[in-house]
Amino acid sequence: MDYLLHILILIAIYTILVVSLDLIAGYTGLLSIAHAAFYGIGAYATALLSLHFQTNFLINMIFGAVGAGVLGVIVAFPSLRIHDDYFVIATFGFQMIVYSVLNNWVDLTRGPLGIPGIPVASLFGFDIDNHWKFLILAVLFAGLSYLFVRKLVNSPYGRVLKAIREDEVFAQSLGKNVNAYKIQVFVIGGALASIAGNLYAHYVTFIDPTSFTILESILVISMVIIGGAGSLKGPVVGAAVLVVLPEALRFVGLPSSVAANLRQIFYGSLLVLMMLYRPQGLMGAYDLRR
Amino acid sequence: MLPQLLVNGLIAGSVYALVALGFGLIYSTTRFFHFAHGAVYAAGAYLTYACWLSGLSLYAAIPLAIIGTAILGALLDIGVYRPLRQKGASSLILLLASLGLFTVIQNLISLVFGDDTKTIRGGAVTEGLPIFGARITPIQIAIIIVSALLILLCWVLMKKTKIGKAMRAVANDPELARVIGIESDRVILFTFALGSALAAVAAILISLDTDMTPMMGFYALLMGVVAVIAGGVGSIPGAALGGLLVGMAQHLGVWKIPTQWQDTIVFVILIFFLLFRPQGFLGKAVKKAAV
Repeated sequence: MDYLLHILILIAIYTILVVSLDLIAGYTGLLSIAHAAFYGIGAYATALLSLHFQTNFLINMIFGAVGAGVLGVIVAFPSLRIHDDYFVIATFGFQMIVYSVLNNWVDLTRGPLGIPGIPVASLFGFDIDNHWKFLILAVLFAGLSYLFVRKLVNSPYGRVLKAIREDEVFAQSLGKNVNAYKIQVFVIGGALASIAGNLYAHYVTFIDPTSFTILESILVISMVIIGGAGSLKGPVVGAAVLVVLPEALRFVGLPSSVAANLRQIFYGSLLVLMMLYRPQGLMGAYDLRR
Repeated sequence: MLPQLLVNGLIAGSVYALVALGFGLIYSTTRFFHFAHGAVYAAGAYLTYACWLSGLSLYAAIPLAIIGTAILGALLDIGVYRPLRQKGASSLILLLASLGLFTVIQNLISLVFGDDTKTIRGGAVTEGLPIFGARITPIQIAIIIVSALLILLCWVLMKKTKIGKAMRAVANDPELARVIGIESDRVILFTFALGSALAAVAAILISLDTDMTPMMGFYALLMGVVAVIAGGVGSIPGAALGGLLVGMAQHLGVWKIPTQWQDTIVFVILIFFLLFRPQGFLGKAVKKAAV
């Protein structure tokens, strides 16, 4: 039973990641492979604050979001000057820099050893100390993130984002401050992703840099693209599919190292096949074509 | 200390230059970032290892592996990229597909060969020859010479031969190239084979000097991408200089900065170039479509 709950908790955490990346990549058209960096900042802020200052879950969340928001401004900055695949390469650079800081700043992050013993989340004196309670917490935040992004993209603000995605110059000619929107979107998306990191750190109670590599970023963008960028239900379905389907490998009785490789091969092939036969994703509205 | 760092930078830089050259040639004819190039590079090293394991001498294994890698590159184009091009896919779609291919190939390698370090070095580790107060092994000298020769050859190929001119024509304007009767699909196929062969050479040279792991391709690709962007996309001397810049920055940085940060320096260079000089130091200004 705990196994099933574990899968559901993972889906909830990835839901936060995909809706926040969808806001950036799907609705605003800024394809980013740096999302694991925001996720990692949330997780590390949580781990460090709760171990050194015994802060609670909500305080960690706020500090993580502020940190990720600042990173969001920095990552968004190149998008003001460069476009499309060059921007992807820039986000790729930021992802690598954040990863190498997590991995190499040993005095702060303990580097590859990771940070063990993160306390469980505690909300108003109530410990979230088993899978059931954690699932409720994770689903609560996943739901709130989903509703928040839905509200945002369906508002006039969201229409400007879609206008930037479709035609940046046109949006500018209507008097919209395109640069400000791009930065805001990265701040909001990054802060949301850090909430996923916060939940993850409290859930697994041990984090190390390998959870926040470029491969994690590629996985999150694959979930968005396979599900369908620019719709909200699509990426959530994508997240569920990419979390659940590889679990089937577990039941075939393969050794875990083989299963890990096969899982990655599955993600990769699925991404290639989707690009070939359904580039707009399972239920997407926007197909990255220009 | 300094001479040794310069030599190390030169060795690393020559390998990055080769990776950057292959990656840059493919980018300039197809206009998308072929991330799977990193996995193709690792495949080059592992093909050599597989041939060598099956009992061939290295002199037979290396050419076979280079040819095999060229075929792999060509197959990626025929199987995935060409159909995507025919559907009019954008460069972002091609990039995402190449990320998928990268993941698949790299994991296939680690599935077949395991994640541990493999080596094709024969014999004991020997002390290098002393030159100008630095030490350099014969294989490291070979790395520098082979890379320099290949870069020169490619430059001649691009400037003087018919296929080279066709490649530049397709890079410059695929539509116009078609109009004058250049079969762009064949030219692109050739570019993939050539670029992949160059990657294989770089990977084999590195594995003769150190070792191989399935993750090696990712690392080499990162350095290659930075080298291409710093040097200027589509320029052969640019790729060579970019590779040297990255290698030197990495190794000279160690002089003042702790070793573990040497890769971070490279990514800071990347961001710097993307922000302030996206065309690189030798490239022509990127044309952004007018309104």
